[in-house]
Amino acid sequence: MNVRIEELAVRFGPVRALGGVSLGFRPGEVSVLAGPNGAGKSTLMSVILGLVRPDAGRVVANDRTVADSRHDAALSFRARLGYLPESVAFSENLTGRQVMRFFAMARGVGRERVEQVLERVGLGHAAGRSVGGYSRGMRQRLGLGVAILHSPELLILDEPTGGLDQQGITVLWEVLEEWRAAGRSIVLSTHELATIERRADRLFVLVDGRLEASGTPDQLRDQSGLEPTVRKGPGLDEVYEALIGRSSSDASHVH
Amino acid sequence: MVLFTLLFAMLAVGIAAYGRSAQDAAAVVTAPSLVTLIVFLVPLVALILGHDAIVGERERHTLGLLLSLPVHRVEVLVAKFLGRALALCGSIGLGLGAASLLLEPGQRSIVLGLVPSTLLLGASFLSIGVLISVASKRVATAASLAVVVWFLTVFIYDLVLLAIMVMTDGSVGQETITWLVTLNPAGLFRTQQMLQLVGQDGLAELGLAVTLPGALTRAAIWAGWIGLPLVLGGGLLSGRRAVTA
Repeated sequence: MNVRIEELAVRFGPVRALGGVSLGFRPGEVSVLAGPNGAGKSTLMSVILGLVRPDAGRVVANDRTVADSRHDAALSFRARLGYLPESVAFSENLTGRQVMRFFAMARGVGRERVEQVLERVGLGHAAGRSVGGYSRGMRQRLGLGVAILHSPELLILDEPTGGLDQQGITVLWEVLEEWRAAGRSIVLSTHELATIERRADRLFVLVDGRLEASGTPDQLRDQSGLEPTVRKGPGLDEVYEALIGRSSSDASHVH
Repeated sequence: MVLFTLLFAMLAVGIAAYGRSAQDAAAVVTAPSLVTLIVFLVPLVALILGHDAIVGERERHTLGLLLSLPVHRVEVLVAKFLGRALALCGSIGLGLGAASLLLEPGQRSIVLGLVPSTLLLGASFLSIGVLISVASKRVATAASLAVVVWFLTVFIYDLVLLAIMVMTDGSVGQETITWLVTLNPAGLFRTQQMLQLVGQDGLAELGLAVTLPGALTRAAIWAGWIGLPLVLGGGLLSGRRAVTA
């Protein structure tokens, strides 16, 4: 699914969360939203998910407007999205399987798929246990399971690596590869650019609700002006620091 | 909810056991005591059940995931109401059902006759609780509001009406007072049950000359108390620009 964000603006009272951001997500690509806290990454995701109505601008999916200042994201569009929130939480009394079955019912997915996904995220053995007894990493994996349950065309992951255990990170990378190979889109936000470096196809650097820089990792390396090291180019975390640092000391935009 | 079910069933059974000892006294002892129990307990539990329906999900960070599903916000609100209403119905049914088992068949029908209007009373306050939940930013605020609403409707409202009657020395018309009583769901429930149990003459003997509006009007008042808060809540939730903020 081709998704375009056009001049998206969101204000919360006096605070500008997004100030006219335009960008696009392509099928078969992992797009990474990077930026410090309060940069607007989660707000951008919330607009796509229909949780926040923008003040201006629109979201376009396959050349059709699916959200704008008058309408929350269309239901038919939301049916094609999978979402993993940053602080994923479920009812503590339900078992992992019950949680998955609830979302499966809401998405019109069969029970067979529930078991398949539970195994996929490594929770098959713990599916009968209540979520209250899950570790943070297990909850995050359950959240990832909920997000991929209905094989969405666009997977939105808000800080997915935070709280994930090593098994969860391995599962996450595998899912990203599967989605990319299947020509589906992935959008994720992260602070840990070094972790995601090899998986990112396109990066969008947001600062104070504005798109500060965008491009492939190599394009951003060029834009940063950092010297390559002997073994390889500078790490993405260094590139990110350089871009952020430059934007705060110099008002000139990189893109 | 389990606690409420147990407490309600225990108290109702206790009242029934006490009423059983007074032969042929269901209309005088058991049912009026049950009406009093219901008027105090059911609105409180319904408000507590409803108060965190939406704000609780927001505070637990589960609302975003729920509303990212391809469903309208109003559908989520109505589903929350219906789920809770079902649980409340179960508890009320169990409590009154258990109490009726202790009674003679004649008395039993009087107690079981309380069930429909108790369900309406519960649904009305549940709906108000859900509205409070949509309007509040914090669970603690919603809980406080719920208790204030319970206190105002169950305790204060009748006292204020009484004060009006005393202070105006009866110059406020009987019809106005009747309307004011029935516009409060707790008052409507209480008056409806008392009229059913002791009749108009019985109430007059107690010094209460209240005549209820017709069945259709009463049905409209119940429908209003159940439907209006839900419509308002749905409107608030749908109109909110940032639903998880």
